[in-house]
Amino acid sequence: MDGNRKDDEMICALTAAEHAAMKEGLYELPDTTPPRAVWHRIREQAEAEGLLKPRVLRRRSTWYASVGVAAAALVAAIMLPGLRQQAGEPLTVVPDSIATNQEIRLTALQALMTESREIESNLRALPDAPRVTRASTLATISDLEDRIAAIDYQLNDPTVQMSDADRELFWRERVRLMKSLLQLRYAQAQRAAF
Amino acid sequence: MAGMSKFADIDIDPGIVKRAAAGDARAHEVIYRAFAAPVYSICLRFTKVPAHAEDLTQETFIEIMRSIARFRGEARLGSWIRRIAVTKALMFLRSAWTKRGQALADDWHDVTEGDALSHGISRHPDDAMDLDAALASLSDVSRAVVWLHDVEGFTHREIAGFMGKSESFSKSQLSRAYQRLRPLLEVPDESKQPEGAAISY
Repeated sequence: MDGNRKDDEMICALTAAEHAAMKEGLYELPDTTPPRAVWHRIREQAEAEGLLKPRVLRRRSTWYASVGVAAAALVAAIMLPGLRQQAGEPLTVVPDSIATNQEIRLTALQALMTESREIESNLRALPDAPRVTRASTLATISDLEDRIAAIDYQLNDPTVQMSDADRELFWRERVRLMKSLLQLRYAQAQRAAF
Repeated sequence: MAGMSKFADIDIDPGIVKRAAAGDARAHEVIYRAFAAPVYSICLRFTKVPAHAEDLTQETFIEIMRSIARFRGEARLGSWIRRIAVTKALMFLRSAWTKRGQALADDWHDVTEGDALSHGISRHPDDAMDLDAALASLSDVSRAVVWLHDVEGFTHREIAGFMGKSESFSKSQLSRAYQRLRPLLEVPDESKQPEGAAISY
């Protein structure tokens, strides 16, 4: 008997219905979250191996420098046009494109924040989660909430500087996760209603 | 849905992946939070020992950090991460078998009644849906094959590739695992197919 024929004749011990039930049962088994210490271990190893960029920490003394720079800029802004005008040179102005890019970024960020607030309000408007829920649905909801909390932590960590581009990226991911959570909670509420 | 991996359900913004490729710790933490549970779970299912599963989770995410710059996005991020986790877990099992001087093909032990009961499995159909315990009662190889085939959706050819064995080996392990699991599963009589309708793989 050749190998292929032998394979073809290998009869499974389960009927199709049994097999489908088992597959579904296996898929429904809830995932287990690793202990919190695992991420710290990963981070320590990654930093030791130089796999992660060192964090840009916001230092407390930064405000002295910031005030100094701002004061110098103010003096320059008042004095420089007068000096240049005296020399008969045209005034240099900030290019429109830079201001526009910043505006766009700010507007995108504000739009994401507004969208996030709306989703949160929609979530609050949903009825309470039913007392009887599938374990897999509960696990998925808990997973999404964990991921949103992790992003909130990143966005609110006062020790780490974040550029506007990064901030927008993290807000976009937050909104995406919130939408998934809303869809899941909505489906859950609909199932409970019938 | 049965037959689809949980890894495939998880989506990450491509911008976050790009930041992670540049070594951004925050982006890596977002990826970790998204995939930590499925990675840890698959490692725990294969090894059954939490400490081993934690080590394998750590190895998997370190490997992700080392290689993510080479991830081109041709496959889904989840499928890519799953492959790394499965490879790490199977490498661990293979090294454990090697240390015991045990060949892969020999890794089959009969589950006695005592074993089954110690895993919380009842022979009575009413209690027969403790699938997690039933799965845990299988040998390491059989459990891995069942999980990779039925949950992660890998083909026998892919499983054979992971294990350095033939496709027949994978099919045979699956068939034997089903024989073990069958008495532990409760399926209503009316849903059973007529005699001879058993499925083949």
